[in-house]
Amino acid sequence: MSEILFIGLSLSSILLLIALGLSITYGAMGVINMAHGELVMIGAYTAVISGIYLNINLFLALPLAFLVSAAVGLALEKLVIRRLYGRIIDTLLATWGVAIVLQQLIRLEFGLSFFGIHIEGLGPGLQNMNVPSFLTQPFEIGGIPIQPYRSFIILVTVLLTLLTWFLMYRTSMGTQVRAIMRNPQIAAACGIDVKRVSAFTFAYGSGLAGIAGVLLAGFKTVMPDMGASTVVDGFLVVVVGGVGSLLGTVLASALLGQINGIFAILTNDILARAVVFGVVIAIILWRPRGLFAFKSR
Amino acid sequence: MLSLTHVDSFYGRSQALHDMNVTAPKGEILAVLGRNGVGKTTLLRTILGLTDRSEGTISLDGDEISSMPTHDRARSGIAYVPQGRMIIPDFTIRDNILMGGFASSGPRGIPEIVPDLFPYLMDNLDRPGGVLSGGQQQQLAIARALACAPSLLLMDEPTEGIQPNIVEQIEDIIIRLNRDLGLTILLVEQNVPFARRAASSFVMVEHGTAVEAGRIHALTEDMVARHMAI
Repeated sequence: MSEILFIGLSLSSILLLIALGLSITYGAMGVINMAHGELVMIGAYTAVISGIYLNINLFLALPLAFLVSAAVGLALEKLVIRRLYGRIIDTLLATWGVAIVLQQLIRLEFGLSFFGIHIEGLGPGLQNMNVPSFLTQPFEIGGIPIQPYRSFIILVTVLLTLLTWFLMYRTSMGTQVRAIMRNPQIAAACGIDVKRVSAFTFAYGSGLAGIAGVLLAGFKTVMPDMGASTVVDGFLVVVVGGVGSLLGTVLASALLGQINGIFAILTNDILARAVVFGVVIAIILWRPRGLFAFKSR
Repeated sequence: MLSLTHVDSFYGRSQALHDMNVTAPKGEILAVLGRNGVGKTTLLRTILGLTDRSEGTISLDGDEISSMPTHDRARSGIAYVPQGRMIIPDFTIRDNILMGGFASSGPRGIPEIVPDLFPYLMDNLDRPGGVLSGGQQQQLAIARALACAPSLLLMDEPTEGIQPNIVEQIEDIIIRLNRDLGLTILLVEQNVPFARRAASSFVMVEHGTAVEAGRIHALTEDMVARHMAI
């Protein structure tokens, strides 16, 4: 049983990294970013490609993927999202379009070998990241088998969640982000540069998605459409947890990740997903604003 | 001095201000009068750049500000005490006040005058803003605006919805802010006797434009009856 919970916890962790970015950007900017999953995918490709060409290991790939995804996110914010402020449906469609473009660009460049365009070292769209061997050998503590890679995922997530909490609640930038979430007009009238802060926020959330991508790459196949389903899971977490609530996001991803993990092992993946959706629907019916929404919006 | 010349302002496609001309002399209180829904709040929001779009010129002490984004207008010395206070309920009183500090150039801090004006706030800095009464929230909104280190204060019906014994206190504070700190104040007000007591000049708004303006002693009962009676 503890092993099942452990697997659920590692699923929750990746879910949390994906949802944190979505929660902050949706809360602060009211933007539904359908390309968030592609930022996860770009993080995963960053890990694979930097491993092949730069011979970088997992630990260096994490910050590198953060930077790459953050840069792509920043460009997306400046080129697309900033121009569609306050038009939530338009941003949804536009970012969905961006998601498709990013997917196809990656597929053209690194995907299935494409009429002779082939990058040496990359397989036919089924890449994987090399995980250092000490993270692949299970060990036992007190008779309980521990999977090191899953522990590593949980550790990275805990650290990044703490970092996010610190940035949001203990820095001037975080105060500005929270003020914008509550009331962007009053925030602007108090001298907060809403566009600049939002761009930073968006880049940070994108960077977290990139890190989630690297962690996923360690146990999943890296392919161009790997991110598309993660954005849906991320939004489930945001909706259940309550927009803009750090605590809500943490608890919702723990809940959904565990439900997914437990039912996947007891039955199968497909039934597990159905159960997750059922739980989400029930929670939304019960609390339409999510578990921890603040009152004012 | 703040002056608006031929200002039109829009929410989406609907025009809320038509050819508005307003001058607020430096260091004085300008009362903005008129019925509900004639564009008084829109006037304040336009000065801060919070409407969807506006045309015409707005200048503050000779600097043209109408092309600036809202936060730069705030940083150039305009602070806003909005209708309904708009304090952030889950921020502490301290954080609500300090929010204004993002508009000031120096380090963010609680303005010196705040403990003197609002001792209650100073004694409860760590409580959430949402637990305060209407009058206390109004005090908090004023303290937040002062943290912007403003030269011009835009106040939207500061005594609306506040218990009567606090109203007089708020009124006295507004007069003090003008007299002691030399703040220029645009005061949107329904209470004509208070406007007469506090302001040096007035502008009467109807249908999104200024229909009368002048020194406060030129405000006749006839004008009040014509433009404010329901």
